[in-house]
Amino acid sequence: MLKVLNKIVERCIGCHQCEEICSQAYFKEKNIEKASLRVTEIVDSNNVLITCTQCGECIDICPVEAIYRDDRAIIRIKKEICVGCLMCVGFCNEKAMFQHDDLTEPFKCIACGLCARKCPSGAIYVEELK
Amino acid sequence: MILINGKEHEWSQELTIQRILDIKRYTFPKIIVKVNGNLIAKHEYAETLIHDGDEVQIIHLLAGG
Amino acid sequence: MNINTLKENRRLLYEYRYELDKIEKGYSNKSLYINLSDNKISSMPVTDMMKEKFIGGKGFGLWYLWNAVKPETKWTDPDNAIVIASGPVGGITQYPGAGKSLVVTISPLTGIPIDSNVGGYFGPLLKFSGWDALEIQGKAEKDVVVFIDGNNGIIRIEEAPLEAIDAHVLGEQLTEMYADSEEDKRNIAVVTAGTAAENTLIGLLNFTFYDVRRKVTRLKQAGRGGIGTVFRDKKIKALVVKFSGVKGNLNNPADQAKINRTGLRLHREIKRFDDEQCRMRQVGTANIIEVMDEYDLLPVHNYKFGRHPDTHKIASNVFRDKFLTQGKPDGCWYGCSLSCAKAADYFELKTGPYKGDKVTVDGPEYETAAGVGANCGIFDPEYVLECNFYCDTYGIDTISFATITAFLMECYENGIINKDITGGLELTFGNQNAAMDLLHQMSRGERFGKLAGLGIRKLKKIFVEEYGADKDFLEDIGMEQKGLEYSEYLPKESLAQQGGYGLTNKGPQHDEAWLIFMDMVNNQLPSFEDKAEALHYFPMFRTWFGLMGLCKLPWNDIVPASNFSSDEPAKIPEHVQNYVDLYNGMTGNNISKEELIIQSERVYNFQRIFNIRMGHGKRENDRVPYRSVGPVTVEEYESRKDRYDTQLKEKLNIESTGKSTEEKVKILRSYREDQYEQLINAVYKRRGWTMDGIPTIEKLKEIKMDLPKLIEVVEKHL
Repeated sequence: MLKVLNKIVERCIGCHQCEEICSQAYFKEKNIEKASLRVTEIVDSNNVLITCTQCGECIDICPVEAIYRDDRAIIRIKKEICVGCLMCVGFCNEKAMFQHDDLTEPFKCIACGLCARKCPSGAIYVEELK
Repeated sequence: MILINGKEHEWSQELTIQRILDIKRYTFPKIIVKVNGNLIAKHEYAETLIHDGDEVQIIHLLAGG
Repeated sequence: MNINTLKENRRLLYEYRYELDKIEKGYSNKSLYINLSDNKISSMPVTDMMKEKFIGGKGFGLWYLWNAVKPETKWTDPDNAIVIASGPVGGITQYPGAGKSLVVTISPLTGIPIDSNVGGYFGPLLKFSGWDALEIQGKAEKDVVVFIDGNNGIIRIEEAPLEAIDAHVLGEQLTEMYADSEEDKRNIAVVTAGTAAENTLIGLLNFTFYDVRRKVTRLKQAGRGGIGTVFRDKKIKALVVKFSGVKGNLNNPADQAKINRTGLRLHREIKRFDDEQCRMRQVGTANIIEVMDEYDLLPVHNYKFGRHPDTHKIASNVFRDKFLTQGKPDGCWYGCSLSCAKAADYFELKTGPYKGDKVTVDGPEYETAAGVGANCGIFDPEYVLECNFYCDTYGIDTISFATITAFLMECYENGIINKDITGGLELTFGNQNAAMDLLHQMSRGERFGKLAGLGIRKLKKIFVEEYGADKDFLEDIGMEQKGLEYSEYLPKESLAQQGGYGLTNKGPQHDEAWLIFMDMVNNQLPSFEDKAEALHYFPMFRTWFGLMGLCKLPWNDIVPASNFSSDEPAKIPEHVQNYVDLYNGMTGNNISKEELIIQSERVYNFQRIFNIRMGHGKRENDRVPYRSVGPVTVEEYESRKDRYDTQLKEKLNIESTGKSTEEKVKILRSYREDQYEQLINAVYKRRGWTMDGIPTIEKLKEIKMDLPKLIEVVEKHL
C-alpha cells in the first residue's frame, strides 16, 4: 500500500509549519533547511511545494544501492551504506531529495503524515495508493 | 562572401545557420554559434538568415578524452 | 580454482603494522614504502615542501621516482619504482571524477618516466587506509600479493603461487578472497597486470572496483607506457587494499559545504545537459567515434586517412543499442554522475582461452574503438569488444596494441614483412582474425606476438637491420615518439596538435593537449603565438588533474550554460572555478585560477628536467614522425588532393598544375616540417625554455621551482 504526500498548491498559505514540524521530528530543530518538504512563497501566484512522489527513480541513481523501497512502498535511504555522493539529490526530478551540510547523508520524506496533520489549510495530505 | 571561422565561404540567398551546418557537416552537438559577435540560440538555427559579408563563428567544444 | 586452495598456498613473507590516523584536509601525510627485494616496509612522511611543490598524484610520483633512480637506471633495475598516489581532492564523493589514481614509473618503452591516470577504487581506499602514496622498489623472488588492510593497520607481503595472472580472473579471486561478505566486496580494490604484460613492453595496470549491481569486478586501466610490464618484472601479481567506511567527509576538508555545493551543481548540470551534449552516461567516450569520422579526423589505416565508409558499423549508437547496458550508475568512483564507464554484459567470447565465457567488457573507450578498429581497418563492433576484453585481462594497452598493429599492417601491405616473418599471420588492414591471433600470441609469449610487443621503436630497428627495410620510410610511418606509440587522433592537419603530441613530456599521449578542433575546425589558433599559448595553457591546466587525483572528463565532456556567453569557452571557465573551489575547499588554501596553472608548471618543468636528467629531454627528442605532420605517400596526398593543393597555393603560392604528386609531396613536406620547427620555437619561448628545450633558471625561479637538484641538471645544458 503506497503512501504519498500529495499537495494542493492553491491552498498553501506559506506558514511553514509543515517544514518546522518535520525538521523538529527528525532533526530536533526548527529549521526549514532540514525539512523533507519545501515551501517557497511566490508573490502573485501559487506557492511552490516540493514533495516526494515516491517515484523511486533515485534507486537506480545510487551507486551503492543505499536507496530502496520498503514494505510500505516508501522510498528510504540506508544511511550506513550511503557514501554521501549527492547524486540522488542532483538527479531527483522533483528536487525532493535534500541535503544539508551538517549531515553526511541526504534525507527525504517518508510519508509519515506529521506535516499533513499540522497544515492549517489542507494544502498537503497523505494519500494511500493501491 | 562570408567568413566562417575566419575562412572565406560562398554566400547564397536563403543561407541559414542550419544550412551552413549541413554543408560543412558540422554534426557535433556542443557548438556555440555567433553571427557578427551575436550569440544565436540553438532553436534559432533554422530560421536565422546569413547576409552577405557576415562573420559567422561556429565554435566546437570538443576536447577529446 | 577454490579460494581456500589459493589461500592455503600463500606464504607470508612479511607483515607490517601501523597506526591508523585521520586524514587532514585531503592528506594522510604519510606515504608507504615497500621494497620487494628485502621485504622492507616503512612509512615516509609527506613534507610541507612536497605538498607545496608537488601537491600529490603524479607530482608525488615523480618526486619519489626521482629520488629512487639515477640517470642510468633502466626500467628493469630493482631501483626502478612504481608509485601510486591519489591527490588531495581524491576520494571525495560529491564531485564527478574524484577517484583517480596516478601511477608513475620508468617506462620500458621510453626509458623516461611515464605517468598514467586511472579510475577504480584503489587510490582513494589507499589514502583512507592511511597512505597518500605507495612506492614499490625492488623485485620479489616469486610472485607476490601485497595486501593493505586499512581498517586494521596491517600490511602483508605474501607469496601467491596459484592465483591467476589475467586480470578478470585475478580481480574476482582476490575480491572474493578478501571480502568478508557480498556487501564487503565494494571495499576491496585490486591492482593487476596480466599475462601479456610479462611478454611485451606494453603492459598496463588494471585497477578494479566492485560493481554492486552487476556483481562483477570491473576493470579500469592505467594504460600507457608499459607500467604493467614493470609490475610483472618485479613479480608482483597484485596489490590489494581493503577499507570499509567510505563517507563523503573522510578527507576532513576545510570547507565541506563548498565541496558539497560544487558537486551538487555539477550533478544537476549533467542531469540537465548530458543527453543533448556528449551522452557520456549512455556511451562514454565512444560518443566521438562518428564525430571524428565526420570531421575527417578518425585515424584509418595507420593514420593515413581520416574517415571510412564503414565507420557507422562501430559508431556509438551501435554499441549503445546492441551491447552497452543502460541505466546503471557507471561511475568508476562514487559520485561520478558522468558515469562513463560503460560495459557490455554477458558478452560471449569467440576466441582465446576464455572462448565461450560470457563476460563483462569494460568499454569500448573511443581510443580502443578508433585504434583496434578504424586504425587497423576493422569495423566489426564485436571484434572491438573482444579485443578490448582481452587487452584488459591480458594487461596490455589497447592504444599501443592498436598503433603497433596498424604499423605492422602497413609494413605487411608494403612487403616489408611477410607471412614467413609473421609466422603465418596475414596482417593486412581489416584482417581481424590475424590481429586477434597476434593478441593471443602476446599472452602466450609466442613468436611474432613477442616481437610485436616490443613496440614500434624497436620494431623499426629490427625491420631495418634484419629485413633490409627502408629506414626513412619506417621513420615516417612508425607512429611513435620518444618510444611511446601515438594515441588515436589524426594530427596531420593540425599544427597545434602535432605539437600537442610531440611536445608532451611522456610521449604522444593526448592527455596534455587536445587542440585539433580549436585549431582546425574553430580556427581559433591562427598564429604561432596563439598555438604556443594554447600549448602552454592546456597542458598546464590538464596536468593539474594528475596532481589532484581527478578525472579530466567532467571538466569539458559536459558544458554548463554559462559557457555559451563566455569569452574563452574552450577553457570552460565555470568548471575551472569549480576546481579552484574544490582545492581551496579541501585544503583551506586560497589559490586563484592563475595559481592553479603555476602549481602545474612546477611539476611539468620537473618532469621535463627529469627527462633531461635521463638523457632524453631535449629538442631532438621532440622530433616527430612525418606521418603525424603530413602525407608521406602519393596515396595519402591524393586522398586529400584538394586540401593539399590549396595549401600549396595559399601558403607558398605554388601552382599544382604540371607537378607530379611526388614533387608536391616533397614541397609540402619541406614546408610543414619547417612549420613544426617554428612551432617548437614559439612553444619553448612561451614555456620559458631555451631553443634546445631546457627550462631556464629564470623560469624555475619564476615558478619557485629552483631546487638545487634541478639547477644541477639544467646548468649542464644551458
